[in-house]
Amino acid sequence: MSDREPVVVDGKRVLGVVPGTPPGGERKVLDEQEPVMVWPHLLVRHGVAALVVLVVVLLLALFFNAPLREIANPMDTPNPEKAPWYFAALQELLAHFHPMVAGVLVPTGIIIGLVALPYIDRNPRLSPRFRKVAVATFTVFMVVWIVLTLIGFMFRGPNWGWVWPWQDWYGEL
Amino acid sequence: MKVMERVRESTVGRSIWRAPDRATERDRAAGHWANFFLHIYPVKMRRKEMTFRYTWFLGVASVVLFGSLVVSGIYLMFFYVPSPASAYGNIQNIQTQVAFGQYMRNVHRWSAHLMVLVVAAHMARVFYRGSYKSPKEFNWVIGVILLVLTLLLSFTGYLLPWDQLAYWAVTVGASMAGFVPLLGETIKGILIGGDTVGSATLLRFYVLHVAVLPTAVVILITIHLWRWRKDAMLDTGADDE
Amino acid sequence: MSEEIERREFLKKGWMAGAGLIGVAGIWTTWDVLQPGESAGFGGEVRTIPEEAVPQDGVVAVPAARAYLTSIDGEVVAVSETCPHLGCRVPWCESSGQFECPCHGSIFNRKGEAREGPTPRGMSRYPVQIIDGLVIVNTGEPEEGEPMGTAETIDEPKRGPSCAEGSH
Ligand code: HEM
Ligand code: FES
Repeated sequence: MSDREPVVVDGKRVLGVVPGTPPGGERKVLDEQEPVMVWPHLLVRHGVAALVVLVVVLLLALFFNAPLREIANPMDTPNPEKAPWYFAALQELLAHFHPMVAGVLVPTGIIIGLVALPYIDRNPRLSPRFRKVAVATFTVFMVVWIVLTLIGFMFRGPNWGWVWPWQDWYGEL
Repeated sequence: MKVMERVRESTVGRSIWRAPDRATERDRAAGHWANFFLHIYPVKMRRKEMTFRYTWFLGVASVVLFGSLVVSGIYLMFFYVPSPASAYGNIQNIQTQVAFGQYMRNVHRWSAHLMVLVVAAHMARVFYRGSYKSPKEFNWVIGVILLVLTLLLSFTGYLLPWDQLAYWAVTVGASMAGFVPLLGETIKGILIGGDTVGSATLLRFYVLHVAVLPTAVVILITIHLWRWRKDAMLDTGADDE
Repeated sequence: MSEEIERREFLKKGWMAGAGLIGVAGIWTTWDVLQPGESAGFGGEVRTIPEEAVPQDGVVAVPAARAYLTSIDGEVVAVSETCPHLGCRVPWCESSGQFECPCHGSIFNRKGEAREGPTPRGMSRYPVQIIDGLVIVNTGEPEEGEPMGTAETIDEPKRGPSCAEGSH
């Protein structure tokens, strides 16, 4: 919250000490670290979160129809041929590198890297401030992947050539 | 509320809900332990771990989306036969003839896309929170497997409408497997069950999509949540915020 | 005493071997069951069109053989329509006189030799026989195309605009 040294009272950090009684009467300061019952405190929140997600899905389904193109035809490859968006980054890589690199090494490398992450990063600190290397590496990876996904999804048209999404739209869901 | 209490207190009610009255915290904890669905949750957690800020509830959102996929998916299964001769027509039929068919198809499709997005976001949140650190390393690993399974579920489902999008995306995807050193052609053959994407491929993807992968996901989600529950109070506590 | 331990060891090894055996049997049968089946027609010799119908400066598609036929220096060549990159069907572009794959933009000349794009090699070719003036394509024995970067053996540069708008 602030850059100042934390105020410590009774061995606990507090935000500050103000004299007098607050206008709404004595207010209980909630202890962040205090264990509280999951029912109802967490379950109610999860219930609300679940409802929000469901409402989003039900509304999306009300307003947007799932796509259905022409029946599959082995004699005719559509142009452009688009992978689903979550593989768009891979498809973009496939247009530039040997398929063994883009189609096998990169995905395998990513999965192995993710699995190994907690065993490589043994730094016990939690705050990003004290985990600069890990946070920077992960962020770079995420940004590269998101940019590649967006390029493959929105900026590629016939024969995998470059298009501007506001001129021609070829994204497929 | 009154009615519910009367039911709970009846002989039948007591045989279903074993917990005593929920007056004290101790009673409530006992009730928590005695309930199959609640027992995947810890009884107590630190207040700060329950806030939106801590998890953005993305894990929960993933579970909810998976649930929505199971429900809408079962609905669709009643109207779909996985064969190149019928698949496409079945989908058209679902959209035009079946009551709420188009709507269910939409729910299934958008839940699937959202699930990929939400699971990936959940992973990112867990990373930035540092929640993969000891002793939670292995739960992170299970999470990575769940991410891969989520992608595979989406991808196998993508073929089922048997339209142009589906056919060629899977042709390209399966060819990628062909470049795995040594085993490539074998893996590709096992995936598509022939020399091009065809009826064998559709059947294989269908079985994976409605039976094998969902079962694997359910088992892994269960383990994932069970470990989360066991580790809930092990938080490193007074660490840097 | 020692006999007791030996027996215990023996039993342990025994049931582990048994479990291992069942496991191997399970994996082996699964593997076997999942092997791809034969597909009818394709994969053997396919009778196509008369030799005179094969063009000199373009190509003709013969769907039953999943191939294109073209005549190069008076000889019929059968080029597989499947992209050696990732398996899309490669259409022939009349205006540029080359094969242009829509999926990731690989380009091949009339003989199927790799010109540009991410493909690691040229399009496969099938052995061809002419029997009674009819072109027979042996789809069971594809010959892989030469790796990307091999010099082209026919001198047919791109002859006009390519079929992709806005391509690189
Ligand atoms: C099908 C996909 C998944 C589902 C349904 C799922 C579900 C959940 C749920 C419900 C929680 C507990 C509460 C919360 O964080 O909101 C959780 C926690 C966790 N998840 Fe996932 N998850 C999935 C995928 C992943 C992935 C891809 C990763 C990372 C690679 C991951 C790593 C973790 C970890 C380490 C925790 C513990 C976090 C903590 O203790 O604070 N999970 N997951
Ligand atoms: S499949 Fe033809 S260029 Fe990739």
